[in-house]
Amino acid sequence: MSAACAKFLWESLPTVLSCGMGSGTSSTRLLERGVLKDRVRAFVDGRSSEGFEELILDVHAFQKSANPAYAAFCAASPNATHWTEIPAVPQQAFKNTELRSFPEEETQRIFHTSGTTGEGVGRHFFRDLDLYQTVALAGWKAARLPDKVDIALLPHPSEVPHSSLSQMAAWLADPSAFLVRDGALDAAALARLIGEANNPIVVFGTALAFLHAIETATPGSLTLPPGSRVVETGGYKGSGREVPRGELYRLFTEHFGIPPGAIVNEYGMTELSSQFYSEGPSGAHRGGGWIRARILDPGTGKDVEDGESGVLQLYDLANIDSVCAVLTRDLATRDGDVFHLLGRDPLAVPRGCSRAADEMLARS
Amino acid sequence: MNTLQRAEYLAAAAAAFPILGPISAEDLMDVVRRELGHAEVLDGFARYGSHHTRAIAPESIVHIVSGNTPHAALQSVIRGLLLGSKNRVKIPSSGLPELSRFVEQLPLELRQRVEISPTVGDRWYAEAGAAIAYGSDETIARIRSRVPANTPFQAHPHRLSFGVVFDDPAGESATACARDAALYDQMGCLSLRCVYVREVERGFARHYAKILAAAMEPVCAAEKAPVRTLEEAAAILHLRSGYRFRAASDRSVALWESAGSDAWTVIYEDDPWFPSSAANRVVFVKPLPGDLALAVRPVISWIAAIGIFPATLENAETLTAIGPSRVCPLGSMQFPPWTWHQEGLQTLAGLVRWVDFEAPQAANSPEFKRP
Repeated sequence: MSAACAKFLWESLPTVLSCGMGSGTSSTRLLERGVLKDRVRAFVDGRSSEGFEELILDVHAFQKSANPAYAAFCAASPNATHWTEIPAVPQQAFKNTELRSFPEEETQRIFHTSGTTGEGVGRHFFRDLDLYQTVALAGWKAARLPDKVDIALLPHPSEVPHSSLSQMAAWLADPSAFLVRDGALDAAALARLIGEANNPIVVFGTALAFLHAIETATPGSLTLPPGSRVVETGGYKGSGREVPRGELYRLFTEHFGIPPGAIVNEYGMTELSSQFYSEGPSGAHRGGGWIRARILDPGTGKDVEDGESGVLQLYDLANIDSVCAVLTRDLATRDGDVFHLLGRDPLAVPRGCSRAADEMLARS
Repeated sequence: MNTLQRAEYLAAAAAAFPILGPISAEDLMDVVRRELGHAEVLDGFARYGSHHTRAIAPESIVHIVSGNTPHAALQSVIRGLLLGSKNRVKIPSSGLPELSRFVEQLPLELRQRVEISPTVGDRWYAEAGAAIAYGSDETIARIRSRVPANTPFQAHPHRLSFGVVFDDPAGESATACARDAALYDQMGCLSLRCVYVREVERGFARHYAKILAAAMEPVCAAEKAPVRTLEEAAAILHLRSGYRFRAASDRSVALWESAGSDAWTVIYEDDPWFPSSAANRVVFVKPLPGDLALAVRPVISWIAAIGIFPATLENAETLTAIGPSRVCPLGSMQFPPWTWHQEGLQTLAGLVRWVDFEAPQAANSPEFKRP
């Protein structure tokens, strides 16, 4: 469907967007969702004359009409007239609420968070994955990465159907490229695939998997052909390990034989559909035009000034099936329209002698 | 300088520090009298049953103190000086100006008994007659490993405190609750973190939370605005946003928060389970369950104080089995008396050693009884 056609269809629909929750039938909302999705896809593909602001306000209005939990949350806020006014759900809301903007019985796929923070498992419900695939591939391309992943240090989605990361990798790599099987890295296959590579390749995986690869490899066996790229997603998933980014990239440079600028960080989360990418140890994170970031002062909720740090709040047009505005648990430093990720806010431990109950609960 | 003179100088210096609460020489002498049995027992022999005894203070005491609860550091040093010991105080690298200012108020003889440093060497531990440490379990374990095995060691690990409102239909204890939570930005081990409210009628605990929220605003406004780290502020934001989201469609929780700032937060929750939360003036209100011990079981080993309203002996009796070392009126949680058995123990008595003198016993001595 062309953008023009989509827009016409949209305008001809009996709108339910301003009617609030409960208005419109399920089938009307379904049609509405389909039209919105087409508009977003057209925007992502560069075929649309619509602006991000206009689109996301419509996505937000649709979600308010289709998602009772979100509608209840929004009821305390005035109607959003600017994208920055869209109420953002806290990331942890995905853990205790089914944030679904479509009928439950139409759920096609559910992705789960790792559940390593001790707060339970978050779930992101999808009615279909085509828009997710569109933005995942478009974001990858916008990061100027080659079309294909040659080695994925991840399990295949057939083994971990609830992993959004593996699903994303499956759109970029052949099934044989997935080298984590039954929870273990196939180090021999990794060395073999690297040894057979004559042209630049792309290796994609979690930071923890890369560390395992480095620790189990024989010296020199991981050296990649010149021009290769390493894409790491961060994440140590309950391993108790955490290697500073600079140190991690030094290890990558040493073992994979690539310059720091050839190392890319992919920043995404189960609760979102789109991703951000950064190059090198100090590169800023950038996303496609369909996802925007705000860095907020946690005390006031206002945007921080350039160069200042705060809490990362994201607005993802592709999150049509859940909620487009998400308050993350990550901290970042603002750099114009991009940001430098500082990492997960470690549930702040009070500095005084009042013991953190979390710590005690964890021990008891 | 004898004990009474030291107590007088210490009380005079302490008067300039409101964070210590009211303190008099008699308060300090009362601690000596109650813990050591005789007010002058540090100055010379005193009668002790059929003989005499004298308390010998450690020559020097090493104190490892926290920077965020200066009152605890001052109290520790005051006790050491009251005993007459030399006090070597390891302060945080960020400093502890309150302690320096306190010491400046003292006469030379007492000033010379305080040495302050951001670092502590093994020599301090080797020469110490006793050591006192405040901090996390890890910090205390590390310090303990450096203190000679036969040196008395007092550990003050992190603790937490909460409140119980037994009967307060008018919510008159709310301002007292707010004070207990707001002081020191809720970072003290005596800071109120949660208050359990007996439901005189269904929904009363939630109503009390609303009253408490109204009380938090003026109480926090009267306090110095805390300086919070980005991580602390973010933790408040996440806690608030999580509860705000839940409260929108879940009547079992409710949220009240300071407008445009993270000055204070009150959260009502039906679930009586002791809350896991950051500090920073976030107060939970929960209905008092039938089995409070069960609700606080995860933290039962770390409870310091329980503030109650009304503060009656009968109400206090119902809480002793839970294991606090202190039950006190709401509103006074942050100001324990000097006679408080911190950690459930005597503070001075654990630092001194005793020497007894057995005088020849006379047959007509009142304490002497022939078997």
